Amino acid sequence: MSGPVVFDPMTLPSDDNVNAYTFCVELKGSQWFLQKGKMIAYYGRIEFNGIGHGRFQGLIRTSFHSPLHAADWVVAEGSGKMLLADRAFDVNSYDLDDGNLTIRSGNLLAYQPTLALKQSIVPGFLTLIGTGKFVAASNGPVVFMEPPLRVDPQALVGWADCPSPCHHYDHGYMTGVMGGLRAFTGIGGASGEEHQFEFVGAGTVLLQSSEALMAEQPTGAVPQQAGIPGAGQPGSGPRRPGQRGDFQHHFGL
Amino acid sequence: MFRLQGSKTLAVDLAGDAVKAKNGSMVAYDGRMTFKKMTGGGEGLRGMVTRRLTGEQMAVMEVTGQGTCFFADRASEISLVSLHGDKLYVEASNLLCTDSGLRTGTTFTGMRGSAAGNGLFTTTVEGTGQAAIMSDGSAVALRVSAQYPLFVDPGAYIAHQGNLQQHFQSGVNFRTLMGEGSGESFQIRFEGEGLVYVQPSERNTIGGNV
Repeated sequence: MSGPVVFDPMTLPSDDNVNAYTFCVELKGSQWFLQKGKMIAYYGRIEFNGIGHGRFQGLIRTSFHSPLHAADWVVAEGSGKMLLADRAFDVNSYDLDDGNLTIRSGNLLAYQPTLALKQSIVPGFLTLIGTGKFVAASNGPVVFMEPPLRVDPQALVGWADCPSPCHHYDHGYMTGVMGGLRAFTGIGGASGEEHQFEFVGAGTVLLQSSEALMAEQPTGAVPQQAGIPGAGQPGSGPRRPGQRGDFQHHFGL
Repeated sequence: MFRLQGSKTLAVDLAGDAVKAKNGSMVAYDGRMTFKKMTGGGEGLRGMVTRRLTGEQMAVMEVTGQGTCFFADRASEISLVSLHGDKLYVEASNLLCTDSGLRTGTTFTGMRGSAAGNGLFTTTVEGTGQAAIMSDGSAVALRVSAQYPLFVDPGAYIAHQGNLQQHFQSGVNFRTLMGEGSGESFQIRFEGEGLVYVQPSERNTIGGNV
């Protein structure tokens, strides 16, 4: 008979995984940003405060840059050990050393304030810049790949250091009226893999080993200015990642 | 004798004795087995009345026979718990299987249950023997001692054992009402000596969004 391993504040790891789905953060008078509702238990004296209020103004100025997104994040402050988890998805921590990493908004659970969180130009993604640790969730373990490569939109978790995410379509398969019909209706054998994201250049691409997406967290609206992706009126914005070809496009309408 | 076959299947070796398991959780067996439906929540007439009143219902079957019986439920992760005369408090939906020597019952949980969204009552398992509990993702067992009280999110709580007092605490303040809540306003504080089991996932709770 083997029961589960019993943890107490001494035996819990410090800033490391407890099991594949649970991550333990140790606070020693320090602060962490975390997404609302991802804390499952803690030992010690830890306070959780919604951000966007007086006390954290200084901290938020340096490490938090998406103003309308503030309602989804809290600051954990104090000393003790806290466990983070998200819907039994795999969680892992990543270290950035004076680097940058862009991640799907729903996958980011927590990060150290030494990192700066910014909205990505790509809608639905967030960028972390600086040095520090962050915790992210994925459905199945994360796989690291080197560009050049093309990835399925649903499997993409994020990317580091490579500035060229773009859409790629298998055009031979999709052109003409028949191709458009095929892509739109699936009749005639659409493989469901006609559309990928393409990465080239130096860097790392993070993929999850399933195509189940995490619920997208709103990343906040962007200023209504010309030239800013996603700033158009809602509904007619740029094509969302993973959206299939519009019917009209194929008829030149 | 309980053992885990992988992390999501429970194998029970039976030699003429009986176990109680969640109804319909048998996935395979080897040897001769008989299955008899029971209703959980406590035995006897009193148990029946409490079940009616509390709604902490649990469809249970009694399995007797010779050989090995395998149990699993919706690919949930399973943890084994040993009881030596102490009491295990577990949500009915998280209990998979208990030794026949263990008594099951129903107790009042107060505010904790209602905030966790699973009713005001919880199932107790008492005696000496083994029990198997289920969780969404592998459960983490956390020890609570006099110097180290533990705070748990109601949605992640699945079970506890030992001599523990639980206090429901809320950090609701004017900022919560202004829509600037921390998302962690409701917590259960465990004090005393014992173990608390949490799962790496949160049920949807009434308090979860505050």
